[in-house]
Parts: sequence; C-alpha cells; structure tokens
Amino acid sequence: MSQKKEWEPKLLGFLCRWCSYAGADLAGTSRKKYPANIRIIKIPCSGRIDPLLIIRALRLGYDGVLVSGCHPGDCHYQTGNYRARRRMAITKKFLEYLGVAPERIQASWVSAAEGGKFAEVVTEVTKDLKKAGPNRLFEDEQDGTKAAK
Amino acid sequence: MSETEKKLREEAKALLEQGRVDYIVGYEPGSLKFTTTPLITKDKDDVDRLVISPFMTNNLSVFLTELEGKVGIVARGCDSRSIVSLIQDKQLTRDNVFIIGVPCAGVIDMGKIERLTGKDRDEIDNIAWEGDKAVATIGGNKKEFAAKEVIMDDCLGCDTPIPQEYDILLEAAGPLACDKELSRRRIKELEEMPPEKRWEFWKNEFGRCIRCYACRQVCPACFCKRCFVEETEPPWLSPLPRWQDNLIFQMTRIIHVAGRCTDCGACELACPVRIPLRSLSKKMEEIVEELFHYKAGADKAAPPLMASYEAEEAEDFIR
Amino acid sequence: MKKVAKKEIYKILSQWRKDFTVFAPSREGGVAGMAVWDGKDTGFLDWYRNTVVPPKNSFLLNMEKLFDFHKENDGYKLAVPAPEKPRLIFGIRPCDAKAMAMIDMVFKDTYEDSYYLSKRRNTLLVGLGCTNPYDSCFCTSLGFDGPTDSADVDLMLIDSGEDFLIEEVTDRGKELMAKTKGTAEATQNDENKAKKAKEAAVQKVTRKIDIKEIKEKFPASFENEALWESLAAKCVSCGICTFLCPTCYCFDINDEASRGNGARYRNWDSCSFPLYTKMPMENPREEKWRRVRQKVHHKYTFYPKLFDIIACTGCGRCIRLCPVNWDITQTLTKASAKATGTEK
Repeated sequence: MSQKKEWEPKLLGFLCRWCSYAGADLAGTSRKKYPANIRIIKIPCSGRIDPLLIIRALRLGYDGVLVSGCHPGDCHYQTGNYRARRRMAITKKFLEYLGVAPERIQASWVSAAEGGKFAEVVTEVTKDLKKAGPNRLFEDEQDGTKAAK
Repeated sequence: MSETEKKLREEAKALLEQGRVDYIVGYEPGSLKFTTTPLITKDKDDVDRLVISPFMTNNLSVFLTELEGKVGIVARGCDSRSIVSLIQDKQLTRDNVFIIGVPCAGVIDMGKIERLTGKDRDEIDNIAWEGDKAVATIGGNKKEFAAKEVIMDDCLGCDTPIPQEYDILLEAAGPLACDKELSRRRIKELEEMPPEKRWEFWKNEFGRCIRCYACRQVCPACFCKRCFVEETEPPWLSPLPRWQDNLIFQMTRIIHVAGRCTDCGACELACPVRIPLRSLSKKMEEIVEELFHYKAGADKAAPPLMASYEAEEAEDFIR
Repeated sequence: MKKVAKKEIYKILSQWRKDFTVFAPSREGGVAGMAVWDGKDTGFLDWYRNTVVPPKNSFLLNMEKLFDFHKENDGYKLAVPAPEKPRLIFGIRPCDAKAMAMIDMVFKDTYEDSYYLSKRRNTLLVGLGCTNPYDSCFCTSLGFDGPTDSADVDLMLIDSGEDFLIEEVTDRGKELMAKTKGTAEATQNDENKAKKAKEAAVQKVTRKIDIKEIKEKFPASFENEALWESLAAKCVSCGICTFLCPTCYCFDINDEASRGNGARYRNWDSCSFPLYTKMPMENPREEKWRRVRQKVHHKYTFYPKLFDIIACTGCGRCIRLCPVNWDITQTLTKASAKATGTEK
C-alpha cells in the first residue's frame, strides 16, 4: 500500500552554464545535500532570462523559479548578469504587484566554486516555497486547467 | 480657431511646401463627437484640418516607425518623450523627425464625462473648456466640472507638460489640473488589497479580453516586427482568449516595454472592453523610477533602460 | 399582435428560462454584452443600446472547443462536446440578427459547419427594435428596414412607450408565444404608437451613406493604390473592427496537446493582422493598405458581386470602437468619389 505523500514544491532552476551550473555540479561531487525539489535547466548565461520564461514556468504550474548566475563582474560574457539583474528586479516587483507571492521568484549569484552556497540556496528557496504553498495562480475549474504535476 | 492652431497650420504648411518634411502627422476632428483622428498627409492642403483639441487620445509617435522619409509630427509633452524613447531605441534618428511642440490642457476623459453626466458620448451636445472649467451642454442645459474631475488620470499626473524635445514650440502651456495622488488612485487601491484579491481582480478583468491586440498596436514602444505572441516554436502562450493567456500576454508586454513606456494611456483608451491597463503600465513606470531612477524618454543621449546597468544596483533580492 | 408591459417583461423571461438558457444584455466593467440572465434583473431596459461584442460570439465563438483527442493504440479517440440546452437570446438588434443570417451562408455553403449550425438551430432570437441608435449607426442606408427590421429574428419586440408589441416572425416564434402567459392583445392605438416609434427610430439614424453611388462607383477604387495608401495611413492593424463586426467570420484553428492528448479549438482571426496572409514564401498583404483595401472591398465589392448582398449591416461598432476613429462610411464615400483615378 502506498503512503499519501505530503505536497512537495516544484522549483525550476535556470542556471548559467559557466558559474552556477558548475557550482551545482560541485555541490554534487562534494556530496552536499540539498532538496530534490529543484529541476535544473542549463542556460548559456543568466542574461538569457526573459520574463517570459519565468511567467511560462508559473503558468505550467511550477511553484517557484530560481535564476542563478555569475557574480557581478565575473560574467563570462561580461555584462549578461547585469542585464539579468535589471530584468529580474522589475519582473519580481511587477509580478508581486499583480498578486504573485514574492517567494516564487528568486535569484542568486553562485560561482563555480560555491558548491556549498548552491546547496544552501536551494534549501532556503525550497523552505520558502513550502511556506508559500502550491501555485494555483492559473488554475481554473471551468476549463479544467489544472496545474501541471 | 485659436491662435496656436492657426500657427500650427501655417507651420505645417510651410514645412511641406519647403520640402523640409515628407509627411505631417497631427490630429484632425474625428467623425464622431468629441473625438480626434490622426491626420497623416503629404498634401499641404490637408493641414488646414489640423487641430489642437481636448480629445487628442492617440499617441501619434506610433506612426513614426512605419513612415518612410522625414516626418513633421505634432507633439505634446508626453508624445515628445515617446519620440525620444524611440530615438534611444534606434528606431528613429533625430534628424528624421521635426517635432512641432504644442500645448495640452489635458485630455478630457469621455469615460469620466459619461459617469458624471449619466449620458453616453453621443447624447451630449457640446463639451468645451471655459477657463479652467469643462462645460458640458446636454439638451440645452449646461453642467460645469472642475478640470480635476474630467481630465484623464495620466494627465493629472503629467510631469512633462511642455515638450522637452522639439524643433519649434508653438505655445508653452500644460494641463489645467495636477493631482499626482488622484492619478494613481486605482493603483493605490490595488496595492492596498491582499495579494490573492489583486490576482482575482486581474483574473476577472482579463476574462473580458478578446485578444484584439489594440493595446499593442497603438503603443509606440511595441514596434517589434514579430511579437512574442506570434512565436509558435515554442508557443509561449495560446492564441485562445482564456483569461490565463490574456493575462500572460499583457503581463509580458508591460515588462517588455519597461523603461520605454511613458504612460500615455493609449493602450487603455484603445481597449474596447475597458480593461484598466494603465493600472499596469503606470505601475511599471513607477517601478522603473523607484529601482533605477530612470524616466522613459527624458534624455535622447541616454542608453535604453534595459540595455544598460550600473555596477551596483537592485541587489537586495538576490541571494 | 400580442403585447407585454415593459414592467412585466420579467415574467415572460422567467417563463422562458424554464426551457431555455436565456441570454440578456448585461454590463461588466462598464462594458455592455450578452450574458446568461440572472433571473432577476431587467434594469438593462434602461441603459441597453447595443453590446460591444456582437451576438455572433454565441454562434461563432472566440474560443470554441471542437473536440478532445486521446491517443489510443494506433490512433486517436475523439470526443465532441455534448449538445447544449436550447438557448434564447433576448434583445438582439436587427443589424446583428441580419448579420447572423449573412454568416449562415458561409457556414452552409459547400460544407455544413455542424458546430455553428447546431447552435443556430438551438437558439431562438428575440429581437428588440432600437429606440436610441448611436451616432455611429448607419443601418438605414443598407437596404433594410433599419432599427426595427424583423426579417431575421423569431420574435421582434417593438417599443411603444409603456409596452413592447410582439411581432411573431417565424413558426418557432409563434410556437413560443402560444405557450407564453402574461401577454395581452395589442389595440389599434398600440399599433399606431408602435408605428410612430418605428418611424422615430429611423429618423434618429443620422449617419447615412449613398449606397447607390457606392454600389456603382466603389468597386473600381480597388485599382487606385495611392488612394488606399492614404486611406489606410492611420489604421493600426489591430483586430477591433473585424472581431466586433457582426458579419466578419474569419477564424483560426489551434491544437493544444501534450503527450498525444489534447483538444482542438477554434478562435477568431482577423484579415487586419499583419501576419494573416503570411505563407512560407511570401505575404501578399504585407503592406497595411492592402489589408485595409481588402477588408472594405470584401464587404462592399466581392460579396455583392458573388452573393448579391452587402456584407455590412451598419451596426457602427467599427466606427464607435476603432482606437483611431477610422471610419468606414467616410472611406466608402471618399473612395467612391475618387474611384477612377490614380490620385489619392
């Protein structure tokens, strides 16, 4: 007989290929534990982030989105993370104004050497999402749209 | 006809006659009461129809990205910022526009007039400024309103009453009323609601959206030849008018025009189902001001907001 | 002829509500539309002139599921939506009803569109003659009885002051009235008042076009490219005029699927959109003026040529709601005057 599972938030992570993805890799090889709630998508640079990606993730039913890139000044493409910073700032503030819980949109700077930090970030973000609860923003019983699970 | 209108027509005629511009873009009286309609012409005789009216409800700079040649454009304070924003985005060169600065007493909001008088637009005989009061004549009876009651919300918060960029300024005069609090009254109401109620509000409003894209088409900042809604690989959002996709369309559009939107209000005025789009666009303008101390279209030499950065800024939300 | 007091219309609607889903005018966010009647409110009689979204949205929906599909073995299983309870639309205006009759032609030409036609068969139209046309209305120029024409409804209600006179137009309308209680017989006096009201409504339609002149001269304007470039200059290529036009019928089909399961939908499309005619090799109507020209000629040249009717009923929504106040009546008049010529 299977046990009824407690709800686990689904977190979508966009990690930049040069720093954050390598940092996540390091967390793995260093055997640092972090919650399995995160699903990772590798992007070439945090500057690839378009608000559309974040909004689409929420539409598909992800409970939260984490964008992680190189520290300012260390971007492999020089300025990508600066652009990401501006975009994330306005996207986060604007979506909060619309009524989206602030915990759902998160960002971090994680370098290739910061395996420990990556594990911490995912742990903290997952905790935040557990508090925020399941994302029912785009659900609608009328047309049977359910959050993608 | 006012002195300024007369000067406008003369100036426009001279520009065409002397070949200094290829087109004149301005406003002429519309075919319905209390409307204007864009006048886009190469013909010097047409410019006799140019007006400066309390009902100038379009942002004419939207035509600048499609006209070829040099354009002489009638511009109020807000319009001049849209033009500068397009120059910043390299959609125009300064040399290709001849900006005719005009005064604006504030656009009269027909929605407010309809609410205050209980009558539809075509049931009102006349509306005109008398001093700083708007006088509506209905069935022979006159009703007076203070400018503050009838001017559009964005005009009440106008911070560019005189065009900052122009080639000729016909008259320096701005809106007859100013009330920043009132101009953001609906945003304040939303900010004071709990988040779930806010989301419910927008869910409800966007249930009416029919995806006509008028908001996008009248916006000067939406000049992309291929908009994200037209991408099918991947299909970012559905073309079907579900509230979810309607809301995603508008959310994304407002974020995409951040730093280029001047809160001209054309989107809200264009919407046939009266979705309060300014409560989104003006909020974005405020966010941009708060985070980056940036104002769209204020400085034509400045790089666009989203294409620039400071070494240190907006870090507090980043872990 | 029967009549019902305006004050008592609630009783009639309530009876009808037992057998039909009744749609009546309602306002949401200040926008007039047709919605399922709540069973109580008839206050719309005070403010109702016409809706923003036309009643075509009840037959050719802006979002309509055609079928669900599921992957099963080697093929797909389709599930068509269940038929609806019969509907009654109360308060449709003659221009909109006439437009529905025009759209019928399209959906039963060589292929019968069962989705559209079953909705039409399933819906009774109770028309309400206009008493307060907009300044953008121009129905009287288009060769029908204008604001009180009863040709394409099942019942037509004519406002005669305190009452509505009820014209029974079709057999379905007659059948319905036979079982409807609470009506009285109209007197000669009532009929006179109704006649006067009809005439008054026609007088109130002030916007007119010279349809004879247009029929004769407008078609030739197709070739005058410079003219259309200038006429189209201020159009912004949104979808308002076409979406809100009761005779426009273009639609798009979209599949939404995930892992082989999903649904096929129909939604409105517009010939005004820049990508409407885009094909892999080219876009024949890339320039805006070509799209604007096509739209007006479709209604006033091609349709008359092919089907002998003008695909426009003068409802005026395109004029009233266009964000740049582009006006089809001005365009028709100007183009007819300058049709044969090359100057704009």
